[in-house]
Amino acid sequence: MRQRKYGFSILALALTWYAAAPGALLAQQAQDIPAQPPSALAPDNLAKPRPAAPFNLTGNWFIDNTPAVQGWLFGPAAIPKLLPDAQKHRDAYVKATAEGKVYRDDIGQCWPAGVPIIMTRVWPIAMIQLPTAIYMVSGFMNSLRTVFMDGRSHTDPDIVVRTFNGESIGRWEGDTLVIETKNFIDDEHHWVDQGVRASGELKIVERVRMINNGRTLEIQMTLTDPKNWEGEYKGTRRWNRVDDIDIAEVECLPDLNEHLQSTSSKVHVR
Amino acid sequence: MRRTVLLPCVLAAMVAVPVLAHHSPAAFDRTKEVTLVGIVKEFRWQNPHTWIEMNVPDPVTKKDVLWGVELTSPTYLVRAGWKSNLIKPGDKVTVVVNPVRSGEPSGIFRSLTLADGRTFLERPARLGTAESK
Repeated sequence: MRQRKYGFSILALALTWYAAAPGALLAQQAQDIPAQPPSALAPDNLAKPRPAAPFNLTGNWFIDNTPAVQGWLFGPAAIPKLLPDAQKHRDAYVKATAEGKVYRDDIGQCWPAGVPIIMTRVWPIAMIQLPTAIYMVSGFMNSLRTVFMDGRSHTDPDIVVRTFNGESIGRWEGDTLVIETKNFIDDEHHWVDQGVRASGELKIVERVRMINNGRTLEIQMTLTDPKNWEGEYKGTRRWNRVDDIDIAEVECLPDLNEHLQSTSSKVHVR
Repeated sequence: MRRTVLLPCVLAAMVAVPVLAHHSPAAFDRTKEVTLVGIVKEFRWQNPHTWIEMNVPDPVTKKDVLWGVELTSPTYLVRAGWKSNLIKPGDKVTVVVNPVRSGEPSGIFRSLTLADGRTFLERPARLGTAESK
């Protein structure tokens, strides 16, 4: 009988602790959780007084890929000295191309293009500029890129969710928009050029200018990735404003490549 | 008996036309054109690619070979006069492609000629330039 009494008491204590513990634990954890920045779309954030932006990117833009101007990638001439592992990929790409094969066309296999290639892909990009952020939606797979302009810092690396487009923070320097992007995913399917890989240490600084009476965007990109190359990888590209197109829903569906031998062919190097 | 013709020809200095694709363009040999005359098996009108699958009799064996033809996005085909019902399974068509380098029966689109003689092209994906007007 005495044992039974003790048993009830222990059970009651356990139940009391179980009921109280979550609240206590959450209260304790709350002290360790960093404050979240206000959303870029929060009315209070949008309403904060800020200097007027020198230009407005809102519109649809299309990479200027006319032969007289440039290609859609920065090209071999711009590639810096690659580190040995990175050079192996580039060499394999050159060899495959010479053999009439495609090397590691992961985008063709429906992997995200990621920054910077998503910017130079031959598809329109819709940009919407607010005081707190610039939203970019590529017509290519509707990839979303957000450039936060509300003064926040890059997210703590311990909690950030790394992505193919990275985390972009922008600021105005005179009449130039400067965007710093990092926190990229460390994924073997992320490339910055043909045969040139990106790592999680990739950082990109973009200096954006509006020229040609607001009809042309010029972006000077400087890429560093100490895991893949020495020094800086630089390129400048232009985008033209396009007023007679809206981006559409575009998805890489599972049956897409079944019908495209250029991507499904077994001769290609995966 | 239906007669079909497969005419390969090499063009020495053809300029590649950029199209909206989801993959590398390296698979295609832009210096070659192949003319396909055959019967449409499927015409898929969708993003990011439209495609045509067509049966083309091999000139030697006379057996049908299924060719895959990749086209750009409908967004740009519409600007060149295309509609989703422009062709349908069973239609006889003539299609010119730049073939894949691997020799497989596939290529990227250059032109379509219907049985009534009308020809359709793509618009180059160079929006915002004088070339796209």
